[in-house]
Amino acid sequence: MSAEPLRSRDLRKVYETRGAPATTALGGVSLEVHRGERVALLGRNGAGKTTFLKIASTLLRPTSGTIEIFGHDADRNPDLARPLIAVVPQEGKPFFHLSPYEQVYTYLRARGFPRDLAKARTREALEKMGLTDIQDRLAITLSGGQRQRTMVATVIATEAPLLFLDEPTIGMDPFARRAVWDALRELTRRGSTMLLTTHYLDEAEALSDRLYIIDRGRVLVQGTAEELKASVGGTLKVTLAKGAGRRELFESFGECVVDGGSCTVIVPPERLGELMAIAVREHLTATVGPVTLEEAFLRFVGRSINEDDT
Amino acid sequence: MRSRAFQGLPAFFWTEVLVQANELTAMATSMVIQGVVLVFVWILDPSLLGIAFCGALIFSMFTMGQRLLNEAAYIRIDHKANDLYLASPLSPEGYFLGMAGGILLVYIAPVIVMGILAEIVVRFTLAEVGLLLAVCFSVWISSASIGYTFSTFFRDNRAIWAYASLFFTTFGVVFPVFYPLTSFPASLQPIALLLPPSAAASLVQAAIGAIPVVPSRVVFGAVALAAETLALFGFAVYWARRTVREG
Ligand SMILES: Nc1ncnc2c1ncn2[C@@H]1O[C@H](COP(=O)(O)OP(=O)(O)O)[C@@H](O)[C@H]1O
Ligand SMILES: [Mg+2]
Repeated sequence: MSAEPLRSRDLRKVYETRGAPATTALGGVSLEVHRGERVALLGRNGAGKTTFLKIASTLLRPTSGTIEIFGHDADRNPDLARPLIAVVPQEGKPFFHLSPYEQVYTYLRARGFPRDLAKARTREALEKMGLTDIQDRLAITLSGGQRQRTMVATVIATEAPLLFLDEPTIGMDPFARRAVWDALRELTRRGSTMLLTTHYLDEAEALSDRLYIIDRGRVLVQGTAEELKASVGGTLKVTLAKGAGRRELFESFGECVVDGGSCTVIVPPERLGELMAIAVREHLTATVGPVTLEEAFLRFVGRSINEDDT
Repeated sequence: MRSRAFQGLPAFFWTEVLVQANELTAMATSMVIQGVVLVFVWILDPSLLGIAFCGALIFSMFTMGQRLLNEAAYIRIDHKANDLYLASPLSPEGYFLGMAGGILLVYIAPVIVMGILAEIVVRFTLAEVGLLLAVCFSVWISSASIGYTFSTFFRDNRAIWAYASLFFTTFGVVFPVFYPLTSFPASLQPIALLLPPSAAASLVQAAIGAIPVVPSRVVFGAVALAAETLALFGFAVYWARRTVREG
């Protein structure tokens, strides 16, 4: 297992559906995930994230291109890739008539874990996901977030070398999400690698070492959260209440993004004083905060949409 | 590290037993059609009760395939269980047979009760019991194979209900399973002998003396049943492996 955990080259997927035009879900995606990394795929609904994960996890055949899991061609030799991976599917559910304990334990047994190890791993994963108190209740009696925690527990208990997590924290409360982050960080410390998708950009920022932003089946940009944020033209975000009507005042600072009556500009720290002086002079209330991944995401994807529209 | 053939079968079998064992009402209602037929036969012509009981046993094994069809499609579509279980070292055939076996173990309980009642009515010889077990096993394997294969074609659970009940009622009730093969139109009898449940029923009917033993018919039915069981099972294993991946 010396090869990269995941490497795709020009991966394309066209869905042919009878009676409907073909959909190009992936238009040539090349990406890599290095050993021990946590990488996030970000993109709007329908960008192609799930399609990529399904091909990578050997559940869907690509139209063209290659994808390797630890050096095994996932399309030609899926049997060699499967023992090395585990998947939290998008919108997956545990069996309703199993308890979280039974769900995790039987899954590990089905993957070939010996009894004692399966028991120990089950207890540990349930504990990490905060499910110990409800581990013996049937899943049918659990809330949506508790079921999702059971799904994550099922998969992290495997400690598989490569994990795919498709929106793993959807529907979870902030505490549960942080428990997932901690569990995933610990798994990578123990040597696992992971590729995940999420629409929570704070999560992507807190959790991933590297990110790929994809849109309409293409990689727009990749890098660390810091790199992506740095590329938006500043590290500070200034929101000017009632600034929408006075946009011309801030033209020299770059694009002013309007939201309701307010407008937001991104500035480097050295120009903050200049901008605040204008705000004070014009009696505009200004709120200053750090640039987050959300600004980077909106900017990259928004630019791509505009380019295609023109 | 390539997974072995049938790897994970026993573990997934127990998973499915646990999943199914919570459906006690469904266990009881799995006998409704057979019960209704038996009551009618008992009222209308008690002399056919032996045949009807044998048919009920065979029909019960046949509908295990319908249960598997529903379960496999439901957990794939609603629970995304394929993504979880098949992107793993668990073998696709272990998944298919584990699910089939788990359903069998849970739903066999009322069939055993039915078998005891059949014994009281028919008084089988040991050889007849052996034959009955063998044909029931064949019918189970073939219908489970058909059920799993069909399950892969659906994208919506609601579509399944209509097709599945049409299929299983046609071949399990309209064809001569509960009644003698000789009462079926003579021109269509070869077709009945080609279909696993009615072929199985005809063999048992001949064995218990309910229909005349015609050697060519017995050989035809037995060979067809055996060959189809093997072919359907082989195909289902191939298909289970192939359909791990879509597109
Ligand atoms: N089974 C399918 N058949 C046809 N089109 C599909 C299928 N699955 C996904 N698509 C289309 O492919 C595109 C990408 O979908 P998906 O990978 O699910 O996106 P994401 O996970 O990023 O929201 C969408 O336009 C979607 O409609
Ligand atoms: Mg998705």
